[in-house]
Amino acid sequence: MADDIKDKVKTDVPTVTFTMDGQEVTVAKGTTILEAARSIGIHIPTFCWHPKLKPVGSCRMCYVEIEKWPKLAVSCVTEATDGMIVHTESDKVKRGRRATLEFLLLNHPLDCPTCDQGGECELQNLTFEHGIDDSRFDFQKNRFTSDTDNTVFDDKRIGPEIILNRNRCILCYRCVRANKEAFGEYDLGVYERGNIAEINAAPGQQVNSPFSGNLPEICPVGALTSVDWRYKMRVWLAGKTPSICPYSSSGSNILIYTDDNKNLIRRVTSRCNDDIDDGWLSDITRYGYQIANSEERLQTPLIKKEGKQVEATWDEALEVICNRFKEITEKKGKVCIGGLISPSLDNASLYCSSKLFRTVFNNNNIDFRTDYRMLPNKPDSYFGMLCNRSFRITDIDDSDVIVVLGSDLIREHHNEYLRIRKAVNFNNARVFSLNPYSVKSADVAQAEIVYNIGTDEIILVAIGLAAIEMGLVEQGLAQGFKEKVKLGSLAEATEVCGVSSDDVKLVARALAGDGKVSVIVGELITRSHGREAVASALFNLSRLLGIDKKGQMAVLARYANSRGAEKLGLLPIPTGAQVEMLKAMWGKFPDAEPQTTDAMLALMHKEEISGGLVLGGNPIMLYPDRQFITEGLEKLDFLVACDLFESETTELADVVLPMSSWAEYEGSYVNLEGCNQVACQAIKHIGQSKPAFEIIRLIAEKIGTSLFESDEQMATEIEQLLSCEPDNATPDNFVDVLPLSEEVDPDFPIPLCICDDPHHTGALTQKAPSLTNFTGEAYIEMSPDLAARLEVSEGQPVRVESPVGKIVMPVKVSKHIDNDVVIIPRNFSQIRVTSLLMRKKRVDRVRITKVDE
Amino acid sequence: MILTEESVRKIKEKLQQYPQPKSVILPALTVAYRQVGYVDADIYREISHIINIPTVEVAEAATFYTMFAKKPRGKYLIQVCHNISCALLGADSLIGYIEEKLGIKIGETTEDNLFTLVTVECLGSCATAPMMQINQDYYEKLTKEKVDQILEDLRSKA
Repeated sequence: MADDIKDKVKTDVPTVTFTMDGQEVTVAKGTTILEAARSIGIHIPTFCWHPKLKPVGSCRMCYVEIEKWPKLAVSCVTEATDGMIVHTESDKVKRGRRATLEFLLLNHPLDCPTCDQGGECELQNLTFEHGIDDSRFDFQKNRFTSDTDNTVFDDKRIGPEIILNRNRCILCYRCVRANKEAFGEYDLGVYERGNIAEINAAPGQQVNSPFSGNLPEICPVGALTSVDWRYKMRVWLAGKTPSICPYSSSGSNILIYTDDNKNLIRRVTSRCNDDIDDGWLSDITRYGYQIANSEERLQTPLIKKEGKQVEATWDEALEVICNRFKEITEKKGKVCIGGLISPSLDNASLYCSSKLFRTVFNNNNIDFRTDYRMLPNKPDSYFGMLCNRSFRITDIDDSDVIVVLGSDLIREHHNEYLRIRKAVNFNNARVFSLNPYSVKSADVAQAEIVYNIGTDEIILVAIGLAAIEMGLVEQGLAQGFKEKVKLGSLAEATEVCGVSSDDVKLVARALAGDGKVSVIVGELITRSHGREAVASALFNLSRLLGIDKKGQMAVLARYANSRGAEKLGLLPIPTGAQVEMLKAMWGKFPDAEPQTTDAMLALMHKEEISGGLVLGGNPIMLYPDRQFITEGLEKLDFLVACDLFESETTELADVVLPMSSWAEYEGSYVNLEGCNQVACQAIKHIGQSKPAFEIIRLIAEKIGTSLFESDEQMATEIEQLLSCEPDNATPDNFVDVLPLSEEVDPDFPIPLCICDDPHHTGALTQKAPSLTNFTGEAYIEMSPDLAARLEVSEGQPVRVESPVGKIVMPVKVSKHIDNDVVIIPRNFSQIRVTSLLMRKKRVDRVRITKVDE
Repeated sequence: MILTEESVRKIKEKLQQYPQPKSVILPALTVAYRQVGYVDADIYREISHIINIPTVEVAEAATFYTMFAKKPRGKYLIQVCHNISCALLGADSLIGYIEEKLGIKIGETTEDNLFTLVTVECLGSCATAPMMQINQDYYEKLTKEKVDQILEDLRSKA
C-alpha cells in the first residue's frame, strides 16, 4: 500500500491517563481496564474474556477495585477514564474473585483426575491460585446425565471431533460467541436458564464447521474437548515444537505437541500470530498433521522390477535414477527431463529442484502449478504481473471495501475469510462477493453477485462501465477504458453476465469511493483458462478507479509455499530480475525453451521428454485432465516420484522415494504475503524417508554435480532470492481485454466447478482420519432446485457425464446455491473427478442423470 | 409442516412490524404455541425458515421462557399457586390431593390427555388464596370439595 494512504488511515486518537497499582498508564480512549492492564504486563484473571472476541462481562472473574466506586468493577467491560485509581490485587479484589470462583464451582463436578483439560485448565489454575478448599454450598449439585447410558459422566459427541461435557461447563459462552462472531456459524447455542442453563449443539445439527477445532482450544475448562487429543497423553508430558501449517498459504503459526517416546504428533494448537492467523486455525491446519502419523506412509524406496515395485535401499534407488537419467540425456539431450514440483514443500526443496533442473539438466522444464490449466508459455503475462503484487493480510482488517472475485474463501483461504468477517464486525467493512455460483462465505457480503460462469472478466468490465455511467470517473480515463472493451454499454455487459445493473452499480460506487480497498482474486479464476483476461480487466478497472492507490489487489497464493516457489523462480519463466540474480549466482542460466506443466505433458506425449521427476503433490489426481496427464506420464521412459504415500502418480513410477513430512525436518515457507517463516523439526523421520531437498541433492551428487559446497551456501542463495521484493508493476496504460467464450454443447448443459472441500485441501488430507470424519467421500453439490428437477434427494447417487468421462457419486443439496452450477470436491482419490475435465476448456460442463438403485 | 397456513401468515405479518427479523422470534413462537399447544425442535426449524434466522437462535429464545411448553399438554392446564399466601392456607395439601385424584405428579399429564398439573408462583390473587388457574380462568378460595366439583365440571364439558 502506498505510504500516503497509511498516513490517511492513521488519525490522532484521544488518550486517557489513569493509575493502576501505583503505575501511571496512558491508553487510547475507549480501552478497557483489562486491556490496559495487559498492555503493561499486569495479569487479571478471566474466563469469558477472549482477546479476539467482543467482551460480555459474564464470568465476573476479572474484578478490580476502583477508588470511589461503590462496588468492584468488571474490568473487561469497564472503560478506563482520566484520573481513575485502579487496584488489581487488593484484598477486596481477592475476596471478590474468591467468591466468583465459589459460584463457578457450584455445579462443577471437580472430576479433575479424569478430565482431559487437567494441566491446561484455567479453572483448575485459578482455583489453585486462590486457594479455595471449601464451599458454603453443600447441597446436591445439578447434574446433566448422558443421553445414552444415564450416567452422570456426561460425554456427548456434538460434532465429528468435539465432545461436550455439560457438567464441567462454567457458561462463559466463549465457544458460542466465537462460533457466531468470529466464524459466522450457528450450530452451537445456550439453552434454558439459571441453574439448568446449558451449551449444546443446535437442535438436530452437528458442530462441524471448518473452524470447529477452535472451540475446544478456547474452552477454558474441560467442557469441550477434542476427540483427536482426548486421553492420548497428559499435556505436560508432551514435547512442544513451534511450526508452520503446511496446508494454508497464509502459513498459520502452530504448536506441535509430540509424544517423543513413540515419535508421534499428538495435536496441533495455535501459536496466535496476530499478523497472520489471528489465533484461529482451520480444521485442516489442526487435524491435517495426522498424515505424518499415518501407517500408510511409504517406508523405503521402491524400484519397479518386471512391472512390480519392490523394496530397495537408497543406494540402489539412487544408482538406478542416476543411470537412467544419464542414459536418457545421452540418447536425447538434456531437454528431455521434466519436473513437476509440489508447492507445499519448503524453500530448500523448491530451490534445490530449480537448481537441479537448471544447472544439472540444463533446461527450463520445471513447474509447480500442476493443477492449473492452459498456462501461457510466454513471459510478461498480465496474470504474472498480478501474481507479483504485494498483499498484507492485516490490511484486510481496516479495509472499507473488500471485493472477492471467483473464490469461496471457506474452501481455500480460511484465515482470510475470518479476517474479512473481522473487518465486517469491527470495522463495518462492505464486502462484495462476485462468483459464478452462490458461495457459503458470501454470508458476510453486503451484496453477492452471481454471474454467468465464464464471464469473470466481463463482470469487471461491467463494474467499470457502471462507474462511468454514474459519472464517478473523469472523462479521459473513461474514454481510455471504453476503447479497450468490446462492450459498449453497461446494459450489454450485465446482459452477458446475467446480473442486475443495480448490484453492479453498488460495487462500482463502493470501489470508486475514498475508502481503503482490498480486491482478492481466487482460485476459480487462477486455475482457469480465463486468468489472463481477468488480470487485464482488473488492471483496467484499477486504472479507472484508482484501486492501486487506495489499497491492494492480489491473486492469493494457494499452497503453503506457492509464493515461495514464485519467489525462488521455480517457474519455467522466472522474472527478469530473478534470472539476472540466478545467472550471477550460478554463473549460467539455461537458454532452453521454458515449458509449463501443459507444455511438458504435451512433449511427453510426443516422446520429446522421456524422463520425469515428480516431487510430491500427486499431479495425476489434481491436474485438470486426468487422461492427458496419465498418458503423458505413462509414455515416459523413466519416472521418479517422491511422496509420503503411494498414489496414482507413484503407481506409474519406475522409482518411488519416500519423502519426509514437513514435521520431520526444519524448513522455511513463504506465505502469501511474502513473509518467510520457519517450521522446526517436531519428530524424527518416519521409516527411511528423507526431506525432499536432501533427495534432490543426493540425486545431483550421484549424477556427479554437487549442488552446493555447503549448507550455508544453500541458505545464502535462498535468502538472496527471497530478498527480491514484489515489483508491484502495472501496465502503463489500459490494455486489451480479450474475453474467451466457448460454445456450449447442448448435450452437456450443466457447468461443473472443481473445488476443495471445506475440510480438505489438495491430495493429502484424505489420509487424516479426523478430516475424513467431517467429509469422507466425494459428493456432487447442487442447488435444491436442480436436485428437484433430477428427482434426487440428499445422498442419492447420480451419474455425472462429460464428453470424456463418467462417474457416479452421491448428491449433496446446498441451500445457498441457487443456479445450475454443480461442485465436486477434488480431494478424494476414489472418485476420479479430474477424468471429467478437459484441459482446453474454460468451463467444464456435464450431464447429470439419476441412477436407479 | 406443523404450522398451518394461517399461522405462517400471522408470522409473516409480524415480520412487517419490526426492523429486524430477530425481533419476530418471540411473537412467532407465541403464534406457534397458540396453534400447537407446545413448541419443539421441529417448530423452531419451521419458524427459522419463515423468518430466516438460524434455528439455534429460535431454540435459545424458546427454551429461555418457561411458559412455552416444550411437550404436549393436556386440554386443561392446571396451574396451582404454591407461593406464600396460598401455601399458608394449604396449597401443598391441595396439590397432593389433585395429584392423588388425577393419578399424576407435578409436571405430568393424565393418560386421557385432559389435565396437566403444574405449580406456579404468585398469580396476584392472594386475597382469595388458595387458588389456581386453569387455562385462562381463575378458581379461588379452593377446598377439596370445590376442586372435586371443578374437575368434574371440566371432565363433563370435555
